[in-house]
Formats: sequence, C-alpha cells, structure tokens
Amino acid sequence: MNRTPLQSLALYGTVILLAALILFPVYWLLVTAISTSAELSQLPPSFWPDDAQWSTFAKVWEERPIPLWLLNSMLAAIGSVALSMVVSVLAGYALSRFSIRGGHSLGLFILTAKMLPATLLVIPLFSIFRNFGMIGSLWTLVLAHSTLIIPFTTWMLKGYFDTIPRELEQAAMVDGCSPMGAMVRVVLPVATPGLAATSLYAFVLSWADYAYARTFLVNAPGSWTANLGITTMRGEYTTDWNEISAAAVFVAVPIIVIYLFLERYLVGGLTAGAEK
Amino acid sequence: MSRVRLFDLARPSRQHLMGYILLAPAVLLVGLIIVYPLIISIDLSLQAVKLPRIGAPRAPFTTANYERLFASSEFWMACWVTLKLVVVVTAGSLITGVSTALLVNNRFRGRTLARLAMALPWAVPEVIAVVIFAWIFDSSFGLMSWLLVKLGLSNGMVAWVSTPGAAFWAVAITMIWKGFPFVSIMTLAGLQSIPTDFYNAAKVDGANVFQRFRWITLPLLMPVLGVTLVLVILWVFRDFSIIKVLTEGGPLKSTQTLSIMTYDQAFGFFNFGYASAVGVVTLVICVVASLLMLGRQTRAMY
Repeated sequence: MNRTPLQSLALYGTVILLAALILFPVYWLLVTAISTSAELSQLPPSFWPDDAQWSTFAKVWEERPIPLWLLNSMLAAIGSVALSMVVSVLAGYALSRFSIRGGHSLGLFILTAKMLPATLLVIPLFSIFRNFGMIGSLWTLVLAHSTLIIPFTTWMLKGYFDTIPRELEQAAMVDGCSPMGAMVRVVLPVATPGLAATSLYAFVLSWADYAYARTFLVNAPGSWTANLGITTMRGEYTTDWNEISAAAVFVAVPIIVIYLFLERYLVGGLTAGAEK
Repeated sequence: MSRVRLFDLARPSRQHLMGYILLAPAVLLVGLIIVYPLIISIDLSLQAVKLPRIGAPRAPFTTANYERLFASSEFWMACWVTLKLVVVVTAGSLITGVSTALLVNNRFRGRTLARLAMALPWAVPEVIAVVIFAWIFDSSFGLMSWLLVKLGLSNGMVAWVSTPGAAFWAVAITMIWKGFPFVSIMTLAGLQSIPTDFYNAAKVDGANVFQRFRWITLPLLMPVLGVTLVLVILWVFRDFSIIKVLTEGGPLKSTQTLSIMTYDQAFGFFNFGYASAVGVVTLVICVVASLLMLGRQTRAMY
C-alpha cells in the first residue's frame, strides 16, 4: 500500500498519540511506585521522580506478604484451570464430534451460564461452603473459579476441535486405534496450541477474580489471593500510594506476560474459523 | 465376549455412548457448582430468610422479597444507575475499540507492537486497574483533578469519590479503559476475515474510502459487533470488582448497580433471601436483554 509522506505522518502520529494515551495509566502506576511519599503529596505532580526509589519494590516484597498472596493466587488458578480443562476438553470434544441427543441444549446451557452474575451465584455457594466448613480454604476458589472458566473453555475448545479434520481420527481408527486412543494420541497433540491458549485464558480469568476471594477468604489472611491482599493495603483515611502501586505491579506482571504470549492466539484463534 | 462388545466404542452404534461418557464429567460438575446453587438462589429468593443453613427446614414460601423489591426506591435507583453505566461504558468502549481496531488494521511498520500496546488494558486485572485509577482520581493529589484545573474546567480539586456525579464518571472511565480492548480484539478479528477482494473490486468501481467503510466494512462487521455489544453489556451489568473497590457503590448509592446491591444485601446486611431476589431479577434482565439483542443480530446477518 502506498502512502504519501503526509498520510504516513498522520497515521504514525495518531497511532503514537493513542497508544500513549492508552498506556499512560500503566506508566503512571510505575512512576507512582518509584516516587517518594513526599513527591506524591505535591502539586503539580512530577511525571518522572527526581529521585527514583526502585527500592520500594524490595521493601514491599519483604514487608508485605506479597509472595504468599501470589502463591495463593497461583494455587487457586492452577487448581481451577486443571479441573476445568479436564472437564471441558472432554465436553468440547464431545460437542464437536458427536451429535448427541441433548448435547446441543447442554452446549447452549453452558453458553448461557456466562450470563450468570457472580454476585448471584456467590450467595448459594457461600451457604454450601459454610455447610461443609470450607470457608477460608483455597478449595472454595478452585470450585468457584470453575464456574467462571468452564463456560468459556468448553466453547473455545469446541471451536478448536471443529478446525481439526475428522479424517485424522478416522485414519487412526482404521489403523487400529480405539476412539478414545484416537482422541488422546492423535487429536489432543494436534490441538496443543489451542489447549495452551485456552489454559492461559482460563488462568487469566481465575487470576482476575476478586468477588469470590473476598467473600470466602476475607477472614483468613493466610489464604488471601493477590487481588484481595492488594485491596487491604488501601487505608480508610490514608494510603501509601507508592507501596500499593509497587504491589500492584507484582500482581499485574504475570498476567501481562501471559497476554504477550496469548495475543497472537486471541486474534488468530478467532479468525481461524472465519477464514475456513 | 458380549461384555467386551457392549463397550466396544469403535462400533458405530456405540459412538453415542462415547459422546455421553465424555460429556458426563461436565454435566456432573456444572450441575453441582452452577445448576444446584442456582436452584438454591431461586429457592432462597422465595423465603423470608436472613442467613439460612442448608438442610435446615425450609422457611415458608413467600413472595415478600419481590414485593419489597419492586416497592423499594433503592432498587429502581440501582436499575437507573445500571442503565446509565451500561449506556455510557458500552458507547465509550465501542467507539474506542472500533477506532483503535481500524487504526491498527492498516499495514505499517511496528503494527504488531501497536496492537499489543492498544489491547494491553485487557491484561490488567480489574483490581489493579482500580488501584491505578483510584490514585488518578484521588481527591487531594490526583492527576485528573489537577488536569481539569489546568484546563480551566474546574475551579478546585474534585472530591471524586464523595461527589455523586463525579464518582459515576470515575467508575465509567475506569470501566471504559478496561473494557475497550475486548471490543478492539473482536473487531480486529472481524476485520481480518473480510476478503481483500471486496475492497479491490470496490476500488475498481471507484468507491472512496468512506464509501468502502460504509458499504463493505460496516455491514460485514455487524455480526461480530452485535455479539461483542451483548458481551460488553453483560460485563457492565454483572461487574463487581471495579465498582466495589473504587467507590463501594457510594456516595449516596450513586454508583450502586444491581450487582453491587445484590452483594451488599447478602454480605453487608445478611439478607440472603432479599439479595437472592435482586440477583434473580438481574439474571432475568440479562437473559431477556441478550435474547432480544441476539435475536435482532441474527436477523441482521441475513
């Protein structure tokens, strides 16, 4: 595509301006984290601190239970992703390959489950977990996050399986593979990129949760997830904005790294079906 | 021998059996953690209960919660706040999302980087987004107030979180920043599935860039935009963390949506029955609204 220099300039100018505007809040988080408290309580605000305090990161990491919070978030995410993936790989494969009576309506039901407000579901789940004495345990999140994840992953995986030709399994079965074997040994390896992208997406869903963690774990500081822990750093009257910002960076980084891997699949995965 | 044959899944007549076996774990789990709790909620909403124990004898059936709900001004206020927020955030996210997608759909050097940058807020967890914006909207040293004063739009620092109108905009801006990348990602996917032949043919026929957008891009993007619109609306409807952490639904309930009202009735006042009624009504609104919209969207596809 050919552009005049003026058109190029306008395009690049707009892109850079918009990107700067969109990324500014993230930049501001970093700047706040490395500013001194004195600098944060003055106007006009400084857009780059005179005396960058990188040590705030180390301080927060040592003085606040950040490693524990991150570990809890990690455990809840791994547990719920593992549980949801096993269930939705099987279901997604079944919905993609078999025309079963009731399969379609089950699929539709799972799809509508996305519409369930977490604030509604959290009420009965709280009652159930309280009955089993599970309040305060990370297991509550493994189950509760699965309610968020399964509706997404089942349909994402069905989509991936739809793009894999059936001839692959048929060939394997002609060669003596059982249907189960054909799925495990032939289809799943081919679907690995899809499985990886879906798991990462599920991980992001679990990591982002606040409602369930707050409800089930608020009285059990040992089980606090990163999101829940961070909100407790906001004081009623005063907040150390540099410390909470540094902590926020620790919580956001794992997800941003995942996003950098996932972005290709997010766009690529959605278009793959459309081009076929 | 016959036993083995019965479970011989390779036989065409047994194919269905394998489908059922594969679906069984999903049915069990979804039944256990979604359907059963949902039934409990609906049941709770029809009892006058505060903090019930499961297995305790059921309180008598009553529609008192719903009667109280529809008679309460707090509920209608929450409906109004939800509607305002849905309209503002959806409009803001759609405009920003579609325009950034159109922009990075151009071919230029550094396009991959631009795409990553523009959709980055998608990856920032909601609570972290709130930490960022709570500081930007701080009433003593926040950047936003300072900027408004500088631009001559405000006489002094704005007490964002304690002024009803300002608190609404603080929530809306945070949600738009967090929500538009999803629209952008979906739109970009939609744009890439439009065959370039269409544009080439239109160019040959002498269509200018606006005509190409109006008559090719927009109609072909409509199905994707329709679904995206519904998903964004549902997200705003059900969002909890952004509002809860930023304003707690205040001041004077000016940012209290139906979701926040459900939660506060349940875990602030321990009115489980009443809270369930609010939640059930929210769910019904969500389902009806998306059926209506997706119904329209399917018609638009033909």
